[in-house]
Amino acid sequence: MSDPRPGRRFDEPTATSDEPTGDATPLRGAHAYLPEQPSTPAAEEEMPSPALDAALAPPRKRRWGLLVLLSTSLGLGTLEAGQTLYHATLGGDWLAGAWSALGLLAIGLGGKALLGELWRLRKLRRHARLRERLDDTWPASGEGTQESVEPLALAEELRAQMGLSRTHPHWQSFIAAQQPHHSAAETRELLAWHLLRPRDQAARRLVTRMSGETAVMVAVSPLTLVDMALMAWRNIAMLDRIAALYGLQLGYASRLRLFREVLRNMAFAGASEMVTDAGMDLLSMNLAAKLSSRAGQGLGAGLLTARLGLRAIATTRPIAFAADERPRLSDLRREVWQQLRRLDDSAQSGREPPSR
Amino acid sequence: MRADNEAMPRDLTQEIHNLIERGRDRQLRLAVTGLSRAGKTAFLTSLVNQLRHAGIDARLDLLKPAREGRLLGAQRMSQPDLGIPRFPYDEALASLAGEPPRWPEPTRGISELRLKLRFKTRRARGLLGDTANLTLDLIDYPGEWLLDLPLLAHDFLGWSEAQLAAMGPERQRFAEPWRRAVAAHRPDEVVDETRLAELAGRYADNLRQAREAGFSHLQPGRFLLPGELEGAPVLQFFPLPGIAEADRRQLEALPAESLYKTLARRFRHYQQHVVKPFYREHFRRFDRQIVLVDVLGALNAGPERFEDLASALSTLMQSFDYGKRSLLNRLFAPRIDRLAIAATKADHVTPDQHANLVALLESLLAEPLKDLRYADVPVRAFSLAAIRATENRQVESDGQRQPALRGHGLDDAPLLLYPGDVPARLPDAGFWQRQGFTFTAFRPPPADGGALPHIRMDAALDWLLGDKLR
Repeated sequence: MSDPRPGRRFDEPTATSDEPTGDATPLRGAHAYLPEQPSTPAAEEEMPSPALDAALAPPRKRRWGLLVLLSTSLGLGTLEAGQTLYHATLGGDWLAGAWSALGLLAIGLGGKALLGELWRLRKLRRHARLRERLDDTWPASGEGTQESVEPLALAEELRAQMGLSRTHPHWQSFIAAQQPHHSAAETRELLAWHLLRPRDQAARRLVTRMSGETAVMVAVSPLTLVDMALMAWRNIAMLDRIAALYGLQLGYASRLRLFREVLRNMAFAGASEMVTDAGMDLLSMNLAAKLSSRAGQGLGAGLLTARLGLRAIATTRPIAFAADERPRLSDLRREVWQQLRRLDDSAQSGREPPSR
Repeated sequence: MRADNEAMPRDLTQEIHNLIERGRDRQLRLAVTGLSRAGKTAFLTSLVNQLRHAGIDARLDLLKPAREGRLLGAQRMSQPDLGIPRFPYDEALASLAGEPPRWPEPTRGISELRLKLRFKTRRARGLLGDTANLTLDLIDYPGEWLLDLPLLAHDFLGWSEAQLAAMGPERQRFAEPWRRAVAAHRPDEVVDETRLAELAGRYADNLRQAREAGFSHLQPGRFLLPGELEGAPVLQFFPLPGIAEADRRQLEALPAESLYKTLARRFRHYQQHVVKPFYREHFRRFDRQIVLVDVLGALNAGPERFEDLASALSTLMQSFDYGKRSLLNRLFAPRIDRLAIAATKADHVTPDQHANLVALLESLLAEPLKDLRYADVPVRAFSLAAIRATENRQVESDGQRQPALRGHGLDDAPLLLYPGDVPARLPDAGFWQRQGFTFTAFRPPPADGGALPHIRMDAALDWLLGDKLR
C-alpha cells in the first residue's frame, strides 16, 4: 500500500504555462447584456420518453428491397409486355399480342391491388396517429391544461376518420351536448359517450357472440385440424368486423398488421390482468372438462377468441378506454360458459343443440 | 375541540333514521360556502333547479347518472333541523322569473334544504328493486362566519394586537373614525353601556365599509351578518388600541368593571357561545364541500383586495375537517372526503378564458391546496356559472373574428362585449396602474320555465354527488 501523496505547492507561472491539461480553457468573465437584446429560451433537453417508446416498440423494418424488387419487376414487365404488343401489332403475330395484352392486364390488376393495400395501410397508420394525438392532447382528467388543439377540430377529424356523416344521429347528439366552454377533457368524455359507446356495445355483442359460437364449434368439430382452421377463420372475421365498427377498412396487409399488433398486445400488455384472467380461465376450463373434454377445449377456444376480441377493441378504439369502462373478460366468460352448458344440456336430453 | 356526539337536541327517531341512512351511504351533507357575493344563492337555486329538471329538459351531459338516463329527479323534503331557516328556493326562482329578471336576494345566514334524489342503480339490487334514493342535505352558510375560527386561538389581548397590526393603509382609512373615538378612553376607565354600544357600532361600521370596498378578511364575522344576535351585548366589543403583550400583568390586575376587562369578558363570551357552537353544531358534520370564489370580482377590486381574498380563503379552508370516509366515521364523525373549489360567474368571460380562470383560482388557493394535497383529500377546481347570463357570440372586427358575450347589463341595457383576458396568474403591480380589470356584471336571462341555463354545473355535481348515484 502506497502512502498518501504529500501536499505540494506549484508556482503559478509554471503551473499554467507548462501543463496544458484537459481543463486549460480560461474561465470566461461576466458579461452584461442589454435587457432589450433579443434572446431565445435555452434549448430544452430532448424529452426522453419518445426514445424510450421507440425502444419499447417492435423494431421497424422497412422492406425497401422487397418494394424495389416488386416495383422494378412491375415496371419491367409493363415495359416488356408493351414492347411485345407493339412488335406483335407490327408483325401481325396476334397470339403473342393477345398474351402480352393479357400480361398487361394482369400487371395492371396487380398494381391496383398493391396500391389499394398501401392505401389501406396508410389509413391504418393514420388511425393510429389520430389515436395517439387524441390521447396526448386530451389528458383523461383535470381541466385547465393548456391545450394547443381546438377540441372540436379533433372531434371533427375523428368523425371523418370514422366515416360518419354530419347528419349521423350519434354525431348530432354529440354536437347538441358539446358546448363552447367545454374543455378538451370534457369534450373527450362526451365524444366517447356519444360516438364510441354505441360502437363499443356493438363490438362487445359481436365478441360475445363470436366467442360463444367458436366455443360451440370447437366443442363439436371432429378434427383438430378443422378446429384450427375454424379458429383462424372466425378470429380474422371478427377482427375485420370490429375494425369496421370503428371506421377502419382492412386490406390484406393492414389486416395482418393489425392482427400482429393485437397479438403483440395480448402477449405483452397487462401481464397482471392476464394472470388473474388465466387463473379464472383454467378454473372454468376445469369445470367444463368435468362435463366433457370437448367442452373444456371449446371453452378454451372461446375464451381465447373473447380475449382476442377485447384486445382488438382496445387496439382499434380511437380513444383509449378509461379505467372503469374497459370491457372485461370476466363479463364474457359467463356467457361463453352458459352457451356451452346449453349445448351440453341439449346433448344430454338428446335434442339438437340450439342454433344460436 | 372535537365534540361530535353533542349534536343538536333532535328527535331521537330522526337521529336513528339518519344514522341508518348514513350507514347505508344513502345520505350526504353537502355544504356550500363562499364569502359574500360569491354566488352561493344562485348556485343553490341552480343546483335544486337542475336536479328537479334532470331527465326532462336539464342539460347535464357531464353528470354521468343523468347522461345515462338513470337520474329520475329530485323532491324537496322537510328538513331535519327545524331551528335553521329553509333555503328560500321559491323566492329565488320568483325573482329570476321577474320582469326584468333579477338575481335572487342574497341569504344572510345559515340555511338548509333537504332533497331526495331518486335514481336507477347501475345494477339491479335483487329484491330491493332497481331504484334507490339519496337524501341530500344542502347547507348554505356565509364564509364570513368561518373566518372567526382563528379567533379561537387568541385571547382578547392577542387578538387586539393582531387585528390592529393586520390593517393595511386602506383599512386604516375606514377605521379612522372609530380610532379617534376610542382614543378618548383608557383601558382602566369605567365606560357605560351606551358609550360601549356606540363604540362597537363604529367598529362594525368600519368593518361594513371595508366589506363594501371589497375586503373579505374581516373579524369578527358576526358583526357583518349578526343574524339573531343584532344589538346583543355579546356583539359589542372591539380591539383595544395601545395595549401590548408587555403590559399584560398590569391589565390583568384591573378591576372587573374596567373597559379592558369588560371587553375581554365579551370577547370570551363570543368565543364560547357564538363561535364554538357554530362549529360544533353545523360545521363538523359535512361530507362534501364546495367553496365558491368570485375571482372576477376580486380582480375588479384590485391587488390589495385580491391578497385579502387569498388570506381569507386560506383561513376558511383550514377550518374543515378532511379525511377518508369509512363506515365508522361515516356514522359518528363525518368528514369532508371530497372538495370542490369553483370560480363562479364564468359566464362573464368568454369560453377561451376558462382555463385561465381556473389557473388563477388555483394560484389564489395555492397554499390551502398544498395542505389538501398533503392530507390526500381529492380536490377539483372548476369554473362555473350557476345561472348563465350571457350567450357566446363571434364578432368580426378589424378583419379578425373575436369571441364576445351578449347579454343584458344590470340596468337592463343590451350589451355585446369582449370582457378582456383573464390572467393565469396575478399580474404585477404595474399592470393595475396601467390597465386594471373591469368585468361587467350581467343580469340573469329571462326565464322560460325550463331548467336554468348553466356552465359546468353538471361537472361540479358529478364530482360532488356522482359517486353516490351508482
